Amino acid sequence: MARRHDKVKAPPQQPDLVDYADNEPSAFASMLGGLIEANVRSRPEKKRDFDSLVARVGIWVTDIDEGVTLDFKGQGGKLTVHNGLKPRRTITIRADAETVMSLSNLKIGLMGMPVYYDEVGRGVAAKLLRGKLKIDGLLPNIVTLNSVTRIFSVQ
Amino acid sequence: MGVKAFSDEWASDFKDEVNKSGAYKSAAKGWKWTVGLVVEAEPDKHFPEAKGIVMDLFDGEARDIKVGPASDAQKCDFVITAPYSRWKEVATKQLDATKGMLQGKLKLKGDLPTIVRYTKASQEMTECTTRIAVEWPDDTIR
Repeated sequence: MARRHDKVKAPPQQPDLVDYADNEPSAFASMLGGLIEANVRSRPEKKRDFDSLVARVGIWVTDIDEGVTLDFKGQGGKLTVHNGLKPRRTITIRADAETVMSLSNLKIGLMGMPVYYDEVGRGVAAKLLRGKLKIDGLLPNIVTLNSVTRIFSVQ
Repeated sequence: MGVKAFSDEWASDFKDEVNKSGAYKSAAKGWKWTVGLVVEAEPDKHFPEAKGIVMDLFDGEARDIKVGPASDAQKCDFVITAPYSRWKEVATKQLDATKGMLQGKLKLKGDLPTIVRYTKASQEMTECTTRIAVEWPDDTIR
């Protein structure tokens, strides 16, 4: 096998940006928390959003009947991930696993707005229109949703 | 009659399926990391020893896929680990790999943003495993 020069490196030890409310975080909670932490550490523009965001975001995956609550606390950037949906959420996203993964693949375009005109974006928009992606609290919290999308996106 | 699960013949068929897939080729453009699949032993399912599948994937092409010890697969950039019966569920379309990862049924090690960026490629790769006719040890031995 050919040698690879572009190995995926483990980041050096840094203070935790993400903690878990439960002694045994679910696999989904660990994955989302890990994804957000890796994103924020590697991309300064995401760190800015992360540092200032104060919101409780629920994500419920309809086809595995599992969810998490992401409690963004601002304070220079701190997130607590809870297993399941907790009360007093700002926004709740409900979708199947594939759509949740699509959300994290939305590109971020001009002015930090998620791109809904490419293939992934059109797919997400179509699911929203067809009711396969439901976002409770969307209208009064579009700015928050855009911040969450930027933090969540791996693109 | 299929090939024996996780045998050298299975690896060869898997590589052919991946390289036949136009969907994988386009979804995996830019991928340049090794992937290891660890198949944990389940002696009661007639799968007595763990195996490792090492996949040398590059820019939409499977350059090599080999079956060997689990320790080889554990050295890859990305490692997905599950017991034999879970992998069988994936390969027989009883378990969607994305859902399996979110549920912790398949354990993933590696840089999460990178693997999420290539979700489509990993879904298509899973599809490729379902196209191989396989002889499962717990189906054939009574």
